[in-house]
Amino acid sequence: MNLLQFKNYLENKLLILDGATGTELQKKGLPLGIAPEAWVLDNPEALIDLQQEYIKSGSDAVYSFTFGANRLKLSQYGLQNSVTDINRKLVEISRKAVGREQFVAGNISSLGVFIRPFGELDFEEAVTIYKEQVQGLVAGGIDFFVIETISDIQEARAALLAVKESCQLPVCVSMTFDADGRTLTGTDPVTALITLQALGADAIGCNCSVGPQAMVEFIRQMRPYSKVPLLAKPNAGLPKLIDNRTVFDMNPSEFAEWGQVLVEAGASLIGGCCGTTPDFIAQLSLEVKNKKPAPVKPNNYSALTSARKTVFVGGSNPVTIIGERINPTGKKQLQASLREGSMAEVRRLATEQITKGATVLDVNVGMPGINEAEVMVKAVEVLAVIADTPLSIDSSTVDVIEQALRIYPGRAIINSISAEKTKLEQLLPIAAKYGAMFILLPLNEAGIPKTAVERYELIKLVYNEALKFGFKKDDIVVDGLVMTVSSDQTAAVECLNVIEWCKQEFGVGTVIGLSNVSFGLPERSCLNSAFLAMAIGKGLTMAIANPSLDTIMQTKMAADVLVNKDSNCQRYITYFTAAPKEGLSVIEKEEVSIEKQIYNSVVSGNKEGIIPLLQKAISENYQVNKIVDEQLIPAINKVGELYENKSYFLPQLIQSAETMKIAFEYLEPYLRNESNSDQKAKTRVVIATVKGDIHDIGKNIVVLMLKNYGFEVLDLGKDVDAPSIVQAAKDFNAKIIGLSALMTTTMTEMKEVINLARKEGMTCKFMVGGAVVTQEYADEIGADGYSEDANSAVKLAQRLSE
Amino acid sequence: MNYGIKAQQLFENIQVAPDIEGIYRRMGFNKKLTQLTAKDAEKINNKIEQGLSYCHNKGVFGRFEINEKDFDFVKINNDLIFKSKGIAKLLAASDEIVLMAATSGAEVAKKIFDEVQNGDITFGVILDAVASQNTDAILDWMMGFLNKVLTREGKRLTKHRYSPGYGDLNLEYQKVIYQLLNLERLDLKLTEKYMLVPEKSVIALAGIERI
Repeated sequence: MNLLQFKNYLENKLLILDGATGTELQKKGLPLGIAPEAWVLDNPEALIDLQQEYIKSGSDAVYSFTFGANRLKLSQYGLQNSVTDINRKLVEISRKAVGREQFVAGNISSLGVFIRPFGELDFEEAVTIYKEQVQGLVAGGIDFFVIETISDIQEARAALLAVKESCQLPVCVSMTFDADGRTLTGTDPVTALITLQALGADAIGCNCSVGPQAMVEFIRQMRPYSKVPLLAKPNAGLPKLIDNRTVFDMNPSEFAEWGQVLVEAGASLIGGCCGTTPDFIAQLSLEVKNKKPAPVKPNNYSALTSARKTVFVGGSNPVTIIGERINPTGKKQLQASLREGSMAEVRRLATEQITKGATVLDVNVGMPGINEAEVMVKAVEVLAVIADTPLSIDSSTVDVIEQALRIYPGRAIINSISAEKTKLEQLLPIAAKYGAMFILLPLNEAGIPKTAVERYELIKLVYNEALKFGFKKDDIVVDGLVMTVSSDQTAAVECLNVIEWCKQEFGVGTVIGLSNVSFGLPERSCLNSAFLAMAIGKGLTMAIANPSLDTIMQTKMAADVLVNKDSNCQRYITYFTAAPKEGLSVIEKEEVSIEKQIYNSVVSGNKEGIIPLLQKAISENYQVNKIVDEQLIPAINKVGELYENKSYFLPQLIQSAETMKIAFEYLEPYLRNESNSDQKAKTRVVIATVKGDIHDIGKNIVVLMLKNYGFEVLDLGKDVDAPSIVQAAKDFNAKIIGLSALMTTTMTEMKEVINLARKEGMTCKFMVGGAVVTQEYADEIGADGYSEDANSAVKLAQRLSE
Repeated sequence: MNYGIKAQQLFENIQVAPDIEGIYRRMGFNKKLTQLTAKDAEKINNKIEQGLSYCHNKGVFGRFEINEKDFDFVKINNDLIFKSKGIAKLLAASDEIVLMAATSGAEVAKKIFDEVQNGDITFGVILDAVASQNTDAILDWMMGFLNKVLTREGKRLTKHRYSPGYGDLNLEYQKVIYQLLNLERLDLKLTEKYMLVPEKSVIALAGIERI
């Protein structure tokens, strides 16, 4: 069956599929725990009988028994080298069962492991594995493909690409959505539909996991956006485990009653999955025998998808902000991060832009000193998982764009395709193959046309070329080409004319790279905002901008309301009422003395402000030891109090402690110089995280706090053995040894240290702490004290040093 | 039908949204008592957001049949015996056990270390809480994922999970679980004292029960 025949068939007639196969074969003797495919090859009559029963029941097509006949699954039975043969032979058995009058669908399903970016299996390896199976199915003589029971959109994409790159046969993709309306990796029906039909699936739908009632809802959701026929193969209701067997709660007539509903909802290919039998299919086909398939008549729409979300653009939808920040140009931190192979900055910029209102993220990693394709793939993999927003793939290199599109588990937009001959020739086929939308850049080898009218010609030229690859206007967004008004004041007007012409006459969406307009001028945000508002007024669809700039987002929100793209002003109201509310305030600025300001700085943890205050105090001849005794120490004591009564939590305690430390370090030289300063000897403490333990943040906090309270601390770090600690304590003449351990396996090391020190006749005191350490344990090992946190560690050290 | 999902799965990238209140709680925040200015809260929230960008979330789980159990032990995989009353109680109604490991990755662990070394202990502490909560969220995500798979089999996970080092389950079990799940695949190492490196990596186990 070729694609045209497939389409013609489904325009006129429903295609009744089969029901469950595996469980039905078990009734015919298929044992558990062996390779089912091999058993069928040895017992072909069982499959032939079953599939003939399905045909007699009204099925127009049966699925080949190749659900698990891929290299990964067959390798569990040592059959990995016979993939092609097994698939071919199994198709031949089905063909023998149904003859030439009925169809055999080549069944491909899950590999059993998840594919990158979610799982560990390399995407290309998955495609290769599927291609091997495709080869066998084609050799067996299937009529069309069914990729079924797929829980991960990326797996569906790999299988679909494997088919499309191997043959011209029609291919259906059937996803498995749970009762919550999402696949295991979080894709909803509409998003799956838009992604897969863009990638070239000829029919899309769902099977398994739920009964017909829930599946009707999935089909209804997909219908308005479906450019291809829809498929539904529900289970016989909901599963129950009875006597270690899974049974379903519907009988054939209850199941069949949903047949008409499914067809009316939009399904043209229907059958049954788990729990259904030839009886179910017989009643189902009777139920729908007079029904015609619903015509495929999608609404007009433009849409981008991520793995978990669809973003509709243009039409009555609000203007889409494409976040522009993932671009190393002029961003030193991102450049450094990318050069080190880190994705932290990419993650941060993505999260920030999404939080601020970007609904698409532009990804550009072009910079010297890196392999752009590798970094782009890595960035796309990270963003595909952490960001629900679809991506705009932005590169001047064709190969980079292709690699990104190939592994992106959604429908992206290419930024951009110009009218340059080589770009058109190279990028249009790639955009078409991966079903991407693209930004049409109306410039060519001669450069950027100055006037809007000249740009119209290039827009038409690119569009006409795109038509040859099956693109429609909904798949294209025209870049109005914003030039800098400081060098040409007609530039903005020409761009606005392009936007207006695209909206009013040509009927295509538009996008602008907003900030170009204001380059070289002061108060750029004013120009940017004004231009954005004007462009939205002319019908702009998308803007590439920095959503972190409040003026941009505020203008967009307001303009959306004014051009009636924000129903009931909902988004506007939400945006402007979501501003953070004032929290409780402890310290407010007030006109107070310099001493009080120093005190307040420590209490409020004002690290940046403390030194200028101290400088001022010293310049005004305040006594340094009085600052310490009357402001700093009372302040840190106050912080300890606030922490104890839980008015403060840990970051506030530490922030104050760090402020105190900065103050002490600054004042130390002055303290030494003041003749009357109290230079009493400090108690010396040696502190360490014990051998085998690598956790030391708690210990570090204790060190900071002890220093602030006048202790002289030698911090030995983490994973320190007993002899080293004991020796260091001797050398340092420590009065106290502090030991920290986080785990049960390492806290025993504390005892080793104490025993060794006692053995060597040391009289110093021991204080211990850490997540699993308790007072009882401290007593057991002979420690002098235990503290549960840094604040109480200070008090304990003070007590032990008396 | 288990939909062909293999008994062991590794996830290279996991999206989680750790509970921000949980991060605050880890740092001792008390909703009723702790006072925080809006400005400070914004600063801390920014640092939390920054911290999350350093987390590269990975996880792995494996399902194993329970061969034998009593009130004080559970035997799986024919030779591994967990001697723990806590585990035996948790798995009382289970036929299978799920072993899991989750990590927030090396980058966030390094960032915590660097910030503390560079003197910004406040940021270090916030990062520490972020990464701990984040790793817990990865385990929550895996349990949610598994529950979706199990629902299709008429089964579910136990509500709670357990980790070696807690209750009466010795930390030493991290070694066998490390080997069974082949945690080198997550770029994890195990120290002589059975600690996972990088920090902010956790091993956990839960039971599979029939609904």
